[in-house]
Amino acid sequence: MMADQRLARDLTDQGFDAENYVSKLSEEGEMPLLEMKQKVHILSEKTALELKKNVYKNYSQFIETAREISILEGEMYQVSHMLTEQKTLMNTMLEMSLVSDKAIVEEIPKEKEVENPEEETRRNLAFLLEKVEGCSSVTEVPGRQLIHNGDLAELDLETFVQVHRVHMFLLNDSLMIATWLPNRRGPVRYRFQGLYELDNLAIVNIRDAGPVKNAFKVLMFPDSKIYQADSAKSKRQWLDILEDTKKKKLARDKQKRESVVRLNEQQVTPTQNVEESSNPFDERAEEISSDIAMDTEYLNVDWLQELPEDLDMCIAQRDFVGAVDLVERVNEYLKECQKTPAVKEFRARIDHRIKLLTEGLMSELQVSPERSLRGGPRAARRAVAQLIRLGRSAQACELFLKNRSAIIIYNNRQLKFEGATSLYIRCLCGVFFTSLSETGREFHKAFPEHFGCFSAFIVWTKTEMESFISIFKRHVFDSKSNLPTIAECVSIASKHCDELAAGGLDVGFYLDATISENLERVIIEERDNIIEGIKYRSQDDLWRPMNHGTETECLKFAEELASVGLDVKDSIYNVCFISLTINTAQFCKACIVMAQSLLLIHKIEREALITDTLVQIFKAQVKHLESSVKNEKFKTDLKFILKNSQYILEVLMAKIEQMYKLQNVIFPHQLVTVNGEYRRLKSIVANMAK
Amino acid sequence: MSKAKAQQPAVIHKVIMVGSGGVGKSALTLQFMYDEFVEDYEPTKADSYRKKVVLDGEEVQIDILDTAGQEDYAAIRDNYFRSGEGFLCVFSITEQESFQATAEFREQILRVKNDDNIPFLLVGNKADLEDKRQVTQDEAHQRALSWNVAYVETSAKTRANVDKVFYDLMREIRSRKMRASQQNNGQKKKKKTNKRKCVIL
Repeated sequence: MMADQRLARDLTDQGFDAENYVSKLSEEGEMPLLEMKQKVHILSEKTALELKKNVYKNYSQFIETAREISILEGEMYQVSHMLTEQKTLMNTMLEMSLVSDKAIVEEIPKEKEVENPEEETRRNLAFLLEKVEGCSSVTEVPGRQLIHNGDLAELDLETFVQVHRVHMFLLNDSLMIATWLPNRRGPVRYRFQGLYELDNLAIVNIRDAGPVKNAFKVLMFPDSKIYQADSAKSKRQWLDILEDTKKKKLARDKQKRESVVRLNEQQVTPTQNVEESSNPFDERAEEISSDIAMDTEYLNVDWLQELPEDLDMCIAQRDFVGAVDLVERVNEYLKECQKTPAVKEFRARIDHRIKLLTEGLMSELQVSPERSLRGGPRAARRAVAQLIRLGRSAQACELFLKNRSAIIIYNNRQLKFEGATSLYIRCLCGVFFTSLSETGREFHKAFPEHFGCFSAFIVWTKTEMESFISIFKRHVFDSKSNLPTIAECVSIASKHCDELAAGGLDVGFYLDATISENLERVIIEERDNIIEGIKYRSQDDLWRPMNHGTETECLKFAEELASVGLDVKDSIYNVCFISLTINTAQFCKACIVMAQSLLLIHKIEREALITDTLVQIFKAQVKHLESSVKNEKFKTDLKFILKNSQYILEVLMAKIEQMYKLQNVIFPHQLVTVNGEYRRLKSIVANMAK
Repeated sequence: MSKAKAQQPAVIHKVIMVGSGGVGKSALTLQFMYDEFVEDYEPTKADSYRKKVVLDGEEVQIDILDTAGQEDYAAIRDNYFRSGEGFLCVFSITEQESFQATAEFREQILRVKNDDNIPFLLVGNKADLEDKRQVTQDEAHQRALSWNVAYVETSAKTRANVDKVFYDLMREIRSRKMRASQQNNGQKKKKKTNKRKCVIL
């Protein structure tokens, strides 16, 4: 075994030399060789076996892995399923929480639970409304659904002669009969005849009535009717479904009653504990009976009875304020009322209309391409105010802001991009920030005291700012404008932000944070350009005064410099000469423009960069001045160089200091130090003269 | 016969079968209607039958409502009872409980119809099963007497007294109706008397 392992190790050794090994072996004659052959043979056999084993092992491992993977896959599937479930749950919760800020909507979540699975049947009932004349009250009961319907013939009770054709609608709690309209108009095909509670309905199968086949009787006190189906099968179906529905309703009612009893018991127990002496059951019963008596009376008020129709009218006439007034009145009225079935029924009728009203109001705020936005914020405010009164402030807020967004987009589209960037930006800022502040004002007016909505406004503002800034960036930075333009644009926007901040809405920090990177890059680029220019011009600076040839040319040049704020009048001599080099003039001009731009966008956060930029530019120029002073070539021009130096370091610097002062910015000491460079140059010159 | 009116005799007597489940209301009805006895039991929901019969020489229609003994909704039972003019209150002589139940039915009928003299027959069915009798003739007669109604024992199986109970009840209904129409002096009465002229005379 040991030998085998050694052999294997030897053979697999990295430095194994086959020839060397064999020659070493063969030195000792035939026996070791044969022995060796045997050993190798055994080793190869063992290896083959091991290989087989390993393959098998690998294979089983592979199977295991595959199994693991499939389990994992199943788990992933489960997880994704759970996530979707969670998501729908979240959505429903979100929907519920959206309607959370008034007591009126307390019942809505409960209602929703019932509603959702019945959405379809609800639509069925809506279809009913269209087909049957005068059945609107039928569709107003929540949870009511259509089970079965069909054409039947109504027969005379005594003679079995057909009276008329009817259409029977079996709902889950009642039976509706509608008569066939002989001359139908539009989609209306039947006229509502009666709605009968299933509880009091007795169905009798007419087994045999002589010649009349497929008939059954419906006993609804005080009258009873006979209906004839067109086939035995259809009659059987009717009877079975009627029976089934009745049973289901019975079971449902029983459940409801039991839960009510249980609830009552729960309510009764604590009172029992408190006042043990009196018998709470008696009191309870009295209370309930008097309640019932009270609320039938309660509901029998004229205006209340007419309220649903009045509401319908208000909604139809788009008199939303009137409708909401009515809703508030009824809410106030019903608030004191116990929640008895009669009240609940009435409540349901009202709720249905509140829903319609809400939808109407929402569509008022909805942004649609065909509707003009020119209604403006005032129109929106009216709808918003009503929605808030209905307790839908969250939706109102959302729609209101959406509306505002649409207005901003619309206004932005109206702007044409023409000519100078800064002009466009000025207009854009004007439009955008005006709408922003207007929205803020409107929001204040529309949602007074609804502080929960203000966070929505802030979020909205941020999104709007984002889109504004993206437009801004595209026009200002991506168009490769020069620094003065960019600085102007930024300063326009900043100024607007400051105005908003004065009104209480601070968005400037956001603007600044999002554009500062671009802005700094532009500043640095511009600085490098100027320094590059200085270096380039210093190479061929011959230190000659400018000669403009004629007086007018000379004055024109002076005028040009004056336009950027540089006074060179004192340096004019011999009519057309200026005692400054062209290089100095150009430097001054570039410097002034740069300083102007930088000061325009001056901010504490950028102070270091701005100071540094100016210092570096000056240093580059000073370097040129210094090397010129030290240069043998310009020995005779020393006085002239000094004069230029003085202009740059004292006149120009003073001018910049003045600009700082005008902007109310403290002149940084780094620049003061640069100012001192002139004295240094002067001393250098003095030393050289010695 | 060719006219619609002539096709159906004008007078319809509405009979209602009441009683506990399984006492043989349907069996009695079917025996009366078709002269046949149905052995296998299937609970009835609510079936109605109509048949032309000759009652004391007059052609009338009998409308039988065979109610469900198991109907557990009192409100619906009320509705059935409202539509009836006469009642056959059936119990099984082999089942004491069904006899006891007749009192409840009677009470409910009187309450619904609000009439102590409503045509009513107490019917003891399954008289062929004498060996299994649990309700004596005596106690049944006594109860009938206290209600001031007739008591008849029937067998749906042997057809004993089947026709009698229906015809007896119809006669009662008819005499009730006549009394009612005599009391009434409205137009309705004239119409009815016209139709039934021969009978009255």
